[in-house]
Amino acid sequence: MARTSNEGGTEAGPLARRRRQLRDAVADTDPDALITVGVMASALLTALAMFLAASSLTIVPFAVFLLSAGYGWVRHQGLTARVLTFSMMVSTILILLLITVFIFVESIPVVRYESTTVFGISVPGLRLFTQTQWDAVSPPVRYSMVPMIHGTVVVTTIATLVAAPLGVAAALFLSEIAPASVRDVVKPGVEILAGIPSIVYGFIGFTILSPWAAGQFRTSGQGTYLFVGIVVGLMALPTVVSVAEDALSSVPESMKSGSLAMGTTDWQTMTSITLPAAFSGVSAAVLLGVGRAIGETMAATVMLRGVPQLTEPLYNVFYGQATLTSLIANNYGEADGLQMDALFVAGVILFVTVLCISVGAQYIEWRMRRKLGGES
Amino acid sequence: MSDDTTSGTGVSRRKFLITSSAIGATGLAGCSGVLASGDDEGELLNAEGSSTVYPISNKGSSYWNANAPPSDGEYWGSNDESTVPGWDKLDTEKNLADYFAGLYGFDETDERSNPPYNTTVSLSHSGTGCKAVRDGLVDIGNSSGPITAELDLSDSEASEQFVDHVVGRDGQPVVVSSDVYDNGVQQLTGEQIRGIYQDEITNWSEVGGPDKEIYCIGRAEGSGTDTSFRLNMLGDAEASMSGVDTRFGQNQQVAEAVSNNDGAIAYMALAFTSDSVQPIAIDFEGTLYEPDKDAENTIFDSEYPLNRDLHMYTKITDDTESGTDMREGAFLNMFLTDFGQQVFVEQNNYIPLPTSDIEAEAEKLPDQA
Repeated sequence: MARTSNEGGTEAGPLARRRRQLRDAVADTDPDALITVGVMASALLTALAMFLAASSLTIVPFAVFLLSAGYGWVRHQGLTARVLTFSMMVSTILILLLITVFIFVESIPVVRYESTTVFGISVPGLRLFTQTQWDAVSPPVRYSMVPMIHGTVVVTTIATLVAAPLGVAAALFLSEIAPASVRDVVKPGVEILAGIPSIVYGFIGFTILSPWAAGQFRTSGQGTYLFVGIVVGLMALPTVVSVAEDALSSVPESMKSGSLAMGTTDWQTMTSITLPAAFSGVSAAVLLGVGRAIGETMAATVMLRGVPQLTEPLYNVFYGQATLTSLIANNYGEADGLQMDALFVAGVILFVTVLCISVGAQYIEWRMRRKLGGES
Repeated sequence: MSDDTTSGTGVSRRKFLITSSAIGATGLAGCSGVLASGDDEGELLNAEGSSTVYPISNKGSSYWNANAPPSDGEYWGSNDESTVPGWDKLDTEKNLADYFAGLYGFDETDERSNPPYNTTVSLSHSGTGCKAVRDGLVDIGNSSGPITAELDLSDSEASEQFVDHVVGRDGQPVVVSSDVYDNGVQQLTGEQIRGIYQDEITNWSEVGGPDKEIYCIGRAEGSGTDTSFRLNMLGDAEASMSGVDTRFGQNQQVAEAVSNNDGAIAYMALAFTSDSVQPIAIDFEGTLYEPDKDAENTIFDSEYPLNRDLHMYTKITDDTESGTDMREGAFLNMFLTDFGQQVFVEQNNYIPLPTSDIEAEAEKLPDQA
């Protein structure tokens, strides 16, 4: 507790009650167990502090933590397990926070560099978005994010156009039409497809699809957003099918039976009952697929041209320049100074976008559960 | 950086670098006697860096780790069927690694596949290799560009911290796809190539080829290959490359893209040329450098402006004031023999060092035991 209450205990507020509870808990617990847990907690905190200070002796408090945890596990398993699981949860959150803070901090120099004056006020980072030139070497050195955002939007749109109709249709068939034996085989099969490494798709795209597309569309050389979008869409397909199928299957049987009892056909039930009821779940599936499309790296990197510039005109999908992910993957090895920081800016934009999408998907799923979860 | 020279004076810049590093090496050679070799015996020697230096470094490492006996004939020594190149200058009874390590006082194992110490080479980028050797993660940092450019150091800062071992040269031939080559573009002037890469020439018909848009391939922005091309061909390390349609990080990708696409032009390491990726002759200010080894001036000459040194950097530490300890010295010395130059450099389509450069490089190594 952070604050100490008055001596007489005149305050009967919740704070005082918590204090009393804590005092009782401490009094009830074996002092040996308390010491063990205390040593564990302080050793872990010390380890964290020394880790942040980049000390070479970090291993010492960490070893103390492991030893005390081992002792506690043998002697006071229940209490130790509670402390251990709690500290694991805290470290997970802490690690995520540290990563987030790191990418934001690393991107600061280039945000400062790309400041522009608007109405006499200097706005840091504005020039990243108000002009379209990227050139890390020859002056004027500019790190515009616009071409990469454009590329990411184009690829994601095409990927969604591929994955959403195919995925939802396949999920509808699996959930409502296919016999159980087919579903039992096909659904795990589709989920295995999601595990194919993206470099495999990228490799096929680079060596076969891209040269073929360059010949067919008579573009100057290979690399088109169209085919990157198609490939990424196919990669996102298993996710969409799997999650959408779950959503469709979770529509209560009673709703469908009620509809059928009114004399509708199977197809009418599907389109007017099942799909609308599962709409938010299906949208979540598509959003998750889109999230994967945005974050997809390898396939986009090997298939795109890697020269950050806008296509002419903007909806020209037959030339493929760069996406946020491919920019990072193409340049991390050679970049230094501001160029490296610019890659972190691309990382920040990706982070924020994917965060919004997963929060959106979670929100939709929560709404669906509230709408349909009445029985549980 | 002393990089703002034009293609015409690129040669003199290189000469300056060689001269200055040779002077540095002579100075360092004096204090190499203080080295102790005993305590680093048996320790793994690791190298990392540029994909351009990788073929040389990795082949050397593989030969070293195999520690072939002299009866092998194919990889080391001589037998009835074959003899390794440069064997007449070696002619030893010892296994490969035993021999080279033995020159620096390591005990021989006399066993195949069991060298006195193992070596390993990782593949990354020039910049990563330089950073790795700076941070002490590896013993040798492979780089296709000078460390001054990779780590943004001045010449004096670099020579205080690192020793630059040049093991060979890399020519960057300009290549075109076979459809362009077969239709009349087998030679370009330096000015024409500059025009193509700066978006002044966009169709092959403007330089005597077919009516076909030019698919102009560059290398990863800011990479060693990219920087040296800008410097030597476009005249400035920060020259604009507005004509580039695509950038690739690796030679393999460039070779693949050139052979898969019509109307392509690119530049890349000599080792990756083939029938479908044809090197062309370049006319630099009146001198025609041809991709033919028997021509008067060839792209294999060290005078060819797009040639560059391939570096293996070692770090100067408190323990090794000369910058190169016994393990590194023994390994690097292998590349400076006739055997090493022919097997590891020339057979990988890189350009072997002339005798004077070999002598200057040998000066940088610690004294042999």
